Amino acid sequence: MERTKTKDLRRTMSRRALFLSGGSILFTSFLVSRLYQLQVAQNSRYSRLSDRNQYDIKIVPPVRGRLFDIKNRLLAGNAESFLLYLTPLYVDDVQKTLIDLAKIVNLSRDLQRDVIVAARKGPSFRHIIIRDDLSQRELARLAVRSPLLNGVSFGKSLRRIYPQGSLACHITGYVSPITANEIDQNPVLAKTPYLATGKVGVELAQEEKLRGMSGRERIEVNALGHPIQVLRDTDARSGEDLRLSIDISIQVQAVEILRRGNLKSVNLGTSEVQSALSKDDDLKAHIALGDDLILRDAKDRLVPPESGAAVVMDIQTGEIISLVSLPMFDPNLFTGKLLTRDWKRLNMHPRKPLLNRVISGQYAPGSTFKMVVGLAALEAGVINKNTTFNCSGDMELGNATFHCWRKGGHGMMNIITALEQSCDVFFYEISLKTGIRKIKDMAHRLGLGDVTGIDLFGEKSGIIPSHEWKLANQGSVWTPGETVVSSIGQGYVLATPLQLAVMTARLSNGKSAVSPSLIKPQNGQQILFPPLNIEPEALSIIQEGMQRVMTGGLGTARKYNLAKSFGGMAGKTGTVQVKRITKAQREKGIVKNIDRPWAERDHALFVGYAPIIKPRFAISVIVEHGGSGSSTAAPIARDILIKTMQAKS
Amino acid sequence: MSVFKVLFRIPWHILLLAAILVLVGSLALYSASQGSWQPWAGRHSVRAVVGFTLVIGIAFIDFNFIKKLSYPIFFIAILGLIAVMISGSGQGVTRWISIGGITFQPSEPTKIAVILALANYFSGQPHDRLRSIVWYIPALFIVAIPFALVLIQPDLGTALMLFFGGIVVIFAAGLPWRYVLGAVVMAIAAIPVFWLQLHAYQKARIMTFLSPESDILGAGYQISQSKIALGSGGLFGKGFLMGSQSQLNYLPEKQTDFVFTMIGEEFGFAGNGFILLVYLLLSISILRISFRVKSRFAQLTCIGIAMTVFFYMFVNVAMVTGLMPVVGAPLPLISYGGTSMLTLFISFGIVASANVHDRHSPGEKNY
Repeated sequence: MERTKTKDLRRTMSRRALFLSGGSILFTSFLVSRLYQLQVAQNSRYSRLSDRNQYDIKIVPPVRGRLFDIKNRLLAGNAESFLLYLTPLYVDDVQKTLIDLAKIVNLSRDLQRDVIVAARKGPSFRHIIIRDDLSQRELARLAVRSPLLNGVSFGKSLRRIYPQGSLACHITGYVSPITANEIDQNPVLAKTPYLATGKVGVELAQEEKLRGMSGRERIEVNALGHPIQVLRDTDARSGEDLRLSIDISIQVQAVEILRRGNLKSVNLGTSEVQSALSKDDDLKAHIALGDDLILRDAKDRLVPPESGAAVVMDIQTGEIISLVSLPMFDPNLFTGKLLTRDWKRLNMHPRKPLLNRVISGQYAPGSTFKMVVGLAALEAGVINKNTTFNCSGDMELGNATFHCWRKGGHGMMNIITALEQSCDVFFYEISLKTGIRKIKDMAHRLGLGDVTGIDLFGEKSGIIPSHEWKLANQGSVWTPGETVVSSIGQGYVLATPLQLAVMTARLSNGKSAVSPSLIKPQNGQQILFPPLNIEPEALSIIQEGMQRVMTGGLGTARKYNLAKSFGGMAGKTGTVQVKRITKAQREKGIVKNIDRPWAERDHALFVGYAPIIKPRFAISVIVEHGGSGSSTAAPIARDILIKTMQAKS
Repeated sequence: MSVFKVLFRIPWHILLLAAILVLVGSLALYSASQGSWQPWAGRHSVRAVVGFTLVIGIAFIDFNFIKKLSYPIFFIAILGLIAVMISGSGQGVTRWISIGGITFQPSEPTKIAVILALANYFSGQPHDRLRSIVWYIPALFIVAIPFALVLIQPDLGTALMLFFGGIVVIFAAGLPWRYVLGAVVMAIAAIPVFWLQLHAYQKARIMTFLSPESDILGAGYQISQSKIALGSGGLFGKGFLMGSQSQLNYLPEKQTDFVFTMIGEEFGFAGNGFILLVYLLLSISILRISFRVKSRFAQLTCIGIAMTVFFYMFVNVAMVTGLMPVVGAPLPLISYGGTSMLTLFISFGIVASANVHDRHSPGEKNY
């Protein structure tokens, strides 16, 4: 029985083997008929093609669109650079030629391998670009030796340059060579592997417009592959030039004002500075970025320039006039081959120069959030202009005590005096009556908690907390204490400097929910914004409070008001605790801000607008660990507004 | 068994057919380097001599010993593929590993390892089990694991051939027809899923295959040039060393994947047809041995090897004639490439050993 089964199986297998033999014959005849079709039936057609097969197609890269500031000053352009290329047809041994070349110019192992792979593919008379960034020195050295290097030649190409150096680095961003990832997403890029693409900033956001379209050239060659003539198939189409709303003359002043802050200049040459430079890691990292500004703080310590952000915006059009994030970096470093050394310096820098703080830095808004709370309370009818609360220096809620920044308290406060003196207790009281839900709604209407949609990538949305937010993110229920903490812009609340500028612009123009933009539309047409829909009366109360900050006898920024000749200004200071003060510390007496380590000092914030009548500009300033909003951020904001109004009048 | 008996039983006609192909290969490679033994043709010939010695050597090994080795060989092959995966943890394509200065592609010997492992698996199964689908599932794993490892290298061409080689053995082992048809239907349904797993460059190749003129400069370049070179060869070709497309370097990779095109340009339809005939004879000769050998293991091994050779050839020729996307598959014994050639010779050696040691004794009936 078993034996017959085995016999059966053997028969099955043999039958299958026969089936496969038959299949092989069938498939082979299929191939033969295909060959017959190509080689015999269509022979004359392919012979003709073979005779005509004497041209090569070359991709002509497009010229990348340039970036200009509002007065047509160049922010990003293209400069001539020198190419080194190799024609495999004239090279006996590609590997040996590359090794010889590597003795004259800089050629990495990886690069050599890529060239060898490229030389194996495609016809041998097609150029392969080895380097696109030859220096003058390398060019000179090559010129002397090129007679010895068959098949190696030079050409010209364009390379991205940023003539303003680091000044507009967080606006323009930079381009760098195409990555494998980008080619994977857009295979068209594989044809121009030496093209640079935008990686951050406007260069990335407007990549499609700036890049343009590659052209094609057909090169006729003779039987040996030598080019005879060039026929243009399709012209390359240059990328679009773009005009930004940035004014670089204001930008340069804003950078200078913000980075110096309240710090004093020092002479770099002194031995004290030199010895500090060799010891202090912060100073060393800063100097390594190529910036030689060293300053002195109020305690006479040597420090690097301030880090932080400032943004100036037109309150009607939303156009960004100046956008500063400190520290900065030189975008020109990225356009060629970024050196590992430079990359490390930028990446390991303790103050993160690559971070665009204006859109990606999220900070607790502190007292600058009080306008939102006040407006929400006024709109809800919880308070009016005359509603008063007594500030005794703290407020009890359940077991917790919430302190006002002023130990003795402010006494009787209404909404205007509370904004003027930045009384915390007043806002604690009204926030409990208004409720977090209405505060949250108002914050969103003023532009907080959502990305603004500016033409830059990597924008953060900040956080405007609510019952739902806390349940989803912390998994617990919202407590009244958290409403109290939120009312002074601390706790979970986070906003970007750009959002704070947008908030201030909306508060000051009062009519439209303006959004920020960087690119000037070409046809000059204005963008229409949705209406703001906030009661004008409530708004004017808040605006009055913000004016009193600058002009009131006890205004927190009264020392730094804008002169009458400029039309005055309105604003709000904010001083944000970075580290919680414990009860024990409070009883022992708080260590003064300036005596704490840098990273534990308060952030200094200021938002404002000018002039008071028919406002035009909104500003937000944050100085990281800069001390208090009144003494550090307010004068910076005022000085930048002065420069803006001088340049714009 | 005496030395003479072994030598007598070696299937010399298979070696003769292989020798013809190697010779054609050497001539083609000589022409590919514009009439020079350097850098390819000379080494190709030397490797072939090593290969023939290997066949005769393996023929002396008892076939039962090969059977015992089949699982260990399979595991070593899998380890080799994993080693490639680990050592090539960077971006891009990694197929080679280097041991003691010799680099080779573990994916090549894996093709044979899969066939041996499957043949061994099926030869151990009692007859009635082979009617039930359950007993084919372990076999599917034997195919699927190396297939996946080669696919992620990524090497679509080798992965496909490995897959088909394994499928043929499963088919020959007696997979009931209803499952064969079911699998075909499922394979067609799985095409969209497979598409999503492909790398961008692999997709580009397939898209270019569907319309090569859309991308003459990029992926379509090779296939357009290959068709021009083949078609312009005509009935008898332009003559040895006279193929203008190949000699002028319009044709890329002419020493490996596109060697068939070059032969077509220089020797025409006659030359190409002759090569196809030799391959067909080679495959059928090995299949014929599968009727003669005694054990199920030997029979399945021979069928698997015969069809692997055939698939190799079919995929390459279909590719260069524009019938299939360019997947990167060499022409067996003709294309330049050491690992592939030695793998083939080792498999011929295994066939020879089966023919020598695994015969029916005289008088026993041949079923």
